[in-house]
Amino acid sequence: MEDKCICCKYFDNRSALIESVFPGLNSLSSAYGSVWAESGICNLHELFLSPWRRCGDFQSNAANSFPEK
Amino acid sequence: MAENESAPAKVTPMGWNELYLKEDWWAIYVGFGIALLCLLAFMNGSTFAKSLAINPGGLKWDSASLGKIADHFSNNIGLYGMQFLFWAIIFGITTRIMGIKTSEFFPAFVILYLLSILAFVIAGWKDSGQWMLEPPIAALLIGLIIANVMPFPKWMDSGFRVEYYIKTGIVLLGATFPINLIISAGPVALFQATVISLATCLTIYFVATKVFGLDKRLGAVIGTGGAVCGVSGSMAIASAVGAKKEYLYTSVTLVVVWALVMVFFIPFVSKELNLHPGIAGAWVGTSEFADAAGFAAASTYGKLAGNEDAAIQGFTLMKVIGRDIWIGIWSFVFALIACLKWEKEECGVRPSAMEIWWRFPKFVLGFFIASLLMTIIATSYSPEDFSKIFKPGVFGPIAGLRTWAFIFCFLSIGLTTRFKDLKSTGWKPFGAFASGVLVNVILGFILSIYVFGDYWMKLGK
Repeated sequence: MEDKCICCKYFDNRSALIESVFPGLNSLSSAYGSVWAESGICNLHELFLSPWRRCGDFQSNAANSFPEK
Repeated sequence: MAENESAPAKVTPMGWNELYLKEDWWAIYVGFGIALLCLLAFMNGSTFAKSLAINPGGLKWDSASLGKIADHFSNNIGLYGMQFLFWAIIFGITTRIMGIKTSEFFPAFVILYLLSILAFVIAGWKDSGQWMLEPPIAALLIGLIIANVMPFPKWMDSGFRVEYYIKTGIVLLGATFPINLIISAGPVALFQATVISLATCLTIYFVATKVFGLDKRLGAVIGTGGAVCGVSGSMAIASAVGAKKEYLYTSVTLVVVWALVMVFFIPFVSKELNLHPGIAGAWVGTSEFADAAGFAAASTYGKLAGNEDAAIQGFTLMKVIGRDIWIGIWSFVFALIACLKWEKEECGVRPSAMEIWWRFPKFVLGFFIASLLMTIIATSYSPEDFSKIFKPGVFGPIAGLRTWAFIFCFLSIGLTTRFKDLKSTGWKPFGAFASGVLVNVILGFILSIYVFGDYWMKLGK
């Protein structure tokens, strides 16, 4: 788990942020739904990713605080 | 995009927290709560639930009887006040728990509620049917006009929760949906949905990658957007294959634009051809790209044709049961293809089959369970008592409150669709998607009318 995208400092999956980044997404979908499954944006590679992925550029996010709300 | 510039946040897996952080689960809780409320009110002989479901859509006013509208509201102002508080408290508290600011939700919801009343009033016009101004279309048009002429600030999108409202409405729909219909209709719906999903996805993918030379990931993202469940499908596949952000921009634009075209196109053609509402509902379920837009189209045509139940049942069987529930499998398969074939060395970890469950649209479970429980309760009544007592006493208020949830959804679609904000897609992705639309609409028409028409015509009886 520790080196997956969900634990990386470049990964961000806050629902409000996802909806603001993709205009129109909330018109017919939602980042608060099950289908979203915690996917998020890699701010290093500019990709939209599942949280279980891994890559060589992993940097731990341990220093940051949990912000979901 | 200020949030993007802030420090990256520590993200931790949701785990069981999903039970109170995801709108799918809240849609189930709210839907079950409302169904239980209606059942208890019925058992206690209370008219509370019926009163709560009031709307002005049945006034049938014209220019000579405008006073009907004023009289209706002056006589029922207390009920509307109670109804507003009911919805505002339920959705306000639950969205707050999901992390949406109440200070943003509440003012937006006040506007949404008032505009919903306006949509019902417009639909209550005596000649509204001639102009297809049934409540869903009236709500959608009001929203689209406002969003693109004098839009509300974007923070108000916090109250325009399209998906939350439609999911709540679908769970409420389940409470009035006979489970035996799901069991008997399941195989046909699944077969038709599988044919259409595969044909549409493969067409878009082939045209995108082989004809236009686009990236495989883009082909997969827009292919599933057209074939499975619209923007949600695109989002699921984009993350499963690790797509570039702009691929999701492209797919969102394509799905939103085409879904709105279909909301008007399919009911219009169905009306011209005088299709049976069950058939039209199945066609909408086959060829519309998103649940919310599809319900608007199916409900509109059902009301026009005088049998909304048939259209809604056909749509639900095809779209929700036939197509939506497979999104997890599509995600898992594409994640495997991306990992084992497209990336090879780059893929850090093999996808888990749990992906199927993680992405499963949980509100569909609520639909099934609500249907099962209500069917069991209803079978304790004789057919005559069911029609005369139980149906109007329990299903009536549930359907009335469901109508409100759907109207909130249809208005929210319009209010959040700002065309100038949508990213341009380029002609190649547009062409690839359009080819899939063509296949989807024609094949959906043939399957719904000529292949399974006799079957869909039995709905709504």
